[in-house]
Amino acid sequence: MSVARSRILDLMKVQCRIFSMTFNPERTRTGNKILRQRLKGPSVAAYYPRRVATVKDLRALYPDLDTWDEDEDDRLEHVALMKTRGKGAPKKKRSADESKKILGKRKKPVAPKAP
Amino acid sequence: MAQFRAKKLDLSCFVNARVIRDHTKRKVFEQYETQRQALRYIIRNTTLPPRARAQAQLQLSQMHAYTRSTQINNRCIEGGKSRGVFRHFRMARYPFRMNALEGNIPGVKKASW
Repeated sequence: MSVARSRILDLMKVQCRIFSMTFNPERTRTGNKILRQRLKGPSVAAYYPRRVATVKDLRALYPDLDTWDEDEDDRLEHVALMKTRGKGAPKKKRSADESKKILGKRKKPVAPKAP
Repeated sequence: MAQFRAKKLDLSCFVNARVIRDHTKRKVFEQYETQRQALRYIIRNTTLPPRARAQAQLQLSQMHAYTRSTQINNRCIEGGKSRGVFRHFRMARYPFRMNALEGNIPGVKKASW
């Protein structure tokens, strides 16, 4: 006993309506498989461990918290030592005249020749 | 590419230029994934007008290389190596062995029979 194709199509239509599927008897490519794919971006971007909070961040958040920085202490100690030996950084120049003294030591530019 | 790179380093694993580059690519891919999928849907959908599909093809091919998932490569979080990296442990074979023997990786034990 054979059943007409139109009857089967009707059955399929009803089936698709009930189970909320897309009715596509010609099997045209609608690209729905792209929409069905899950987004993998969040899991891909979470591959490397992220930096959470560092001591530096903590210090910025709570400036009155008593913390220490070994590298900074070492640097300050070194600076103090150099200053006692007279090898410290020069004093900051306050005016333009003071800073020009250094310029005078440089080679003066050659004056252009008269025509 | 510099325009995508984070201004401040946000990694706490081993860091070198290649790790930072790969991390940047991952973040860019995450950002543009929906756009790429939408374009891919338009291209695959044969019920849409051919002109729109061709335009979508052009747009997808002109997107930046960093938005592509094939640019991403798993690297070792202990040494930044790209080869011999176990996906599950995110580590190359040698750091994995060292950590496993030290007992730092839960559930991993040297086989012996």
